[in-house]
Amino acid sequence: MLVSGYYSWNWLEATHVLTLMMSIGSLFIIDFRMLGWVLPDVSATAIADRLHKPMIIGFSIMFITGILLVYAKPVENVQSLWFRIKMILLVLAFINAWVFNSRMRAADGTWDSARVAPKPLRTGAIISLCLWCGVVAMGRFIPYDWVDCPKVSNTALLWASGCVEQLNAL
Amino acid sequence: MLSSFLSNYRNVASLAFIVLAVVLVEFFEVRAAIYPSLLPFFEWLKYSSWIGYLGITYGSVYATVQAGHLISMAIIGGTVLVTDLRLLGVLLKNIPSETITKGTHQCFKYSLSVSIATGIFCAAGVADKVYYMPVFWIKMLALLAGSGFMFFIKQPLLNSRPHSEIGPWTLRMLAVASIFIWFTVAATGRWIGFS
Repeated sequence: MLVSGYYSWNWLEATHVLTLMMSIGSLFIIDFRMLGWVLPDVSATAIADRLHKPMIIGFSIMFITGILLVYAKPVENVQSLWFRIKMILLVLAFINAWVFNSRMRAADGTWDSARVAPKPLRTGAIISLCLWCGVVAMGRFIPYDWVDCPKVSNTALLWASGCVEQLNAL
Repeated sequence: MLSSFLSNYRNVASLAFIVLAVVLVEFFEVRAAIYPSLLPFFEWLKYSSWIGYLGITYGSVYATVQAGHLISMAIIGGTVLVTDLRLLGVLLKNIPSETITKGTHQCFKYSLSVSIATGIFCAAGVADKVYYMPVFWIKMLALLAGSGFMFFIKQPLLNSRPHSEIGPWTLRMLAVASIFIWFTVAATGRWIGFS
């Protein structure tokens, strides 16, 4: 029903993409602050604390719409190499966010007003930026069929994409 | 009197002139006359320009640039939300809105430049299709309106005096208008993919 309904699918996909502005937009502002690229005169923890709520709201909407998008086309997504890489990057991004948050809470508060955060937090911010750029790129690659199961003959790629039928036929 | 008005409100007068020109262009059906003459440019963009060639020939390059376009739009969204939610008094209330406005504007300008550059590349690859899409032209108008609003109205007004001297409803209206315009730019951009 989700796929066949022109508007239901489009609204779902559009909501998933547009909440990027709220979730990743807020997250990038926090990361940029840690690197001293935006709002260097404002307390870094204040930025992180206050942007936490819109970021979580954005991510929640993205997850709900994302789960519905996968539910609507389960086989295409689960057998997509890009989807699988995206999921791995998502897990890594969340581990990095957890580590980053713990480090920020544990850090001595004297750096809070400094233009740039201490090195471990800056490293965490750069890793976060790279991982989320990767998540967006992989999400963008999913509709393309370059490495779809019927088009691939390489065993490693077939295994990585979970193309069971093609692997059994070899 | 006119010269003092123009010197005090140069940016607003420029924007009003542009809006008036657009209205006149529409009213006298100049757009309808110009529109067909744009088709050769769009065809050249797709089939003869190097960006069109890259986009058509290398799908992976096209998809990567599309991802860059999405990321730059996300950063625009982040800066717009932080600034406008502060002006609305929703976020970062204990930090002066002047600090937030100035601190995010540079980032907004960079991400807008990246999104325009990547957007041109994305449009070049499908130029012959987007030319016929009303939603593409709505997006272009929204982008023009958003950029004009940001650089000719919002920023000059917010930088002209302390925000405490600007009426609270003016600040709220600026914020709501800004969120609405940039949401329209993003939403119409997404809808191009469905058309």
